[in-house]
Amino acid sequence: MTALIWFNEDGLNPAHPMVQDYPTAPRIYIFDRPYLQQWQISKHRIQFIYESLLEIADIQIYQGNTVPLLRQLLEQHQATEIVTTETPNHIIKAWQHDLQSYANLVAYPEVYPVNDHSSPRRFSRYWHQHDRAWLTP
Amino acid sequence: MQPLRTNLESRNAIADYIQTEFPFLENTGCLSPHVGGRKAGLERLQHFPLEKYARQRNFLDGAVSQLSPYLSRGCITLEEVRQWALQHQASHSVEKFVSELAWRAFFHLVYQDEGDRILQDLEPPKVPMRQHQTTLPDDIDRGETGIPSMDTFIRMLKETGYLHNHARMYLASYIVHFRQVHWRTGADWMYALLIDGDLASNHLSWQWVASTFSHKPYIFNRENLERYAGSVLPGDPRKDDPFNYSYEELADRLFGNDYTPASSRASGNYR
Repeated sequence: MTALIWFNEDGLNPAHPMVQDYPTAPRIYIFDRPYLQQWQISKHRIQFIYESLLEIADIQIYQGNTVPLLRQLLEQHQATEIVTTETPNHIIKAWQHDLQSYANLVAYPEVYPVNDHSSPRRFSRYWHQHDRAWLTP
Repeated sequence: MQPLRTNLESRNAIADYIQTEFPFLENTGCLSPHVGGRKAGLERLQHFPLEKYARQRNFLDGAVSQLSPYLSRGCITLEEVRQWALQHQASHSVEKFVSELAWRAFFHLVYQDEGDRILQDLEPPKVPMRQHQTTLPDDIDRGETGIPSMDTFIRMLKETGYLHNHARMYLASYIVHFRQVHWRTGADWMYALLIDGDLASNHLSWQWVASTFSHKPYIFNRENLERYAGSVLPGDPRKDDPFNYSYEELADRLFGNDYTPASSRASGNYR
C-alpha cells in the first residue's frame, strides 16, 4: 500500500518512528491558509515551523486547504494511506476525520508514561494519582 | 499545486520568503531568538541547568528550560525530555520539572476529552464576569497600556513569540481581571502570537486564571510582580498603581463583595 507521511504542526519531528517505519513515503506538510488567517497566526510561529520542516529530509511543503490538497497528493502519488501523528487539536482532528473517507489513516499516538485517559478536572488530583508513574524511568 | 521552496539558506531568507508567500502576515520586522527544529531543541535541553529549576522557575530571569516551543511543535517529545530529566539524581528540581511536563499531558487529556468545548467556560466563573468585553482594547494589542511592566511583556511576546510562563500569567490576569476583558478574547490573542501556541495549554491556562477551570481567580500584586519579575522590568509609576494593594484589597477592588479570597496565595503556581 503506497503511503504519504503527513506532518502536522504538533508533530514536527524528523526522528519520529513513523519516518523510520515508512522510509520511502513522500513527506508532506501543508500550511492551511484558512486556519492561519482565521486564527491570525503570527509570522514567528510560521517561521519556527518552517525552520523545523527544513530539518526533515525531502520534505514537500505546500500551502492551501489541507483536505483537498491532500486528496490531490494522494491521487498524484497513487497513494491509499496517510501516516500521521495524533494530536488533541480539534482542528487537525477534524481534517484527519475527513481524510478517512479518502485514505486509510494511520495515526501514531502521543507517548505518555500514564495511559489512564480519564480526565480529572484538577491537576493536583491527576498528579496525586500518577506521580509515581511520571517519576519512574 | 506548487510546493514551497526548501532551498532557503538563512533565517532571513526564510523570513523574506514567508512574507512573500503569506502576504497577509503582519511583518514582525525581526527574527525570534527561538530557532525552529529538533537540533535546536536538543541543544537547549543539553544546556538546561535542571538542578536550579525548583528554586528559580518562578523568576523571570531564573533557570527555565524554554523547551515549550520544541515540545509544542513536536520537534522533541515529552517522553524523551522526561527520560532525560530522570537520568539526573532524584531531587526537588527533577520532581518539579517532571510535574510541569505532566501539566502539559494533563491539559492534553482535558482537551482530548472536551474537544472544542475548551474554547468556552468549562465551569462557572467564581467571580462576576458578565460585563467583560469581547474585543481586545487597542492599547493592549499595541503594548501601549501606559503600565511599563505590562507593555514590556506585550513587547517581548510580539518580538520573540515567547514569554516566560509567569509573565503569561501576569499578562492574562491583568487583561482578564484588571481590564475586564473576556478570557477567550485574551487567549485567542496570545495563542496567535506564541510560537508554542497550543490550544490546550494556552486556553486552559487562561481559563485557570479566569477561574472557569479552577477554584479561584489568579491575581497578583505589586509585591509579587517585583519579587519575581522586577529584575527584567522597568519601574512602573507609583501614582495610580493598579497593583499596589494587598490581596484582600485587590479582591475587593476587582470583584467587590462577591468573592472572599483565600488568606494566602501561591506564587504563580497552578495549585
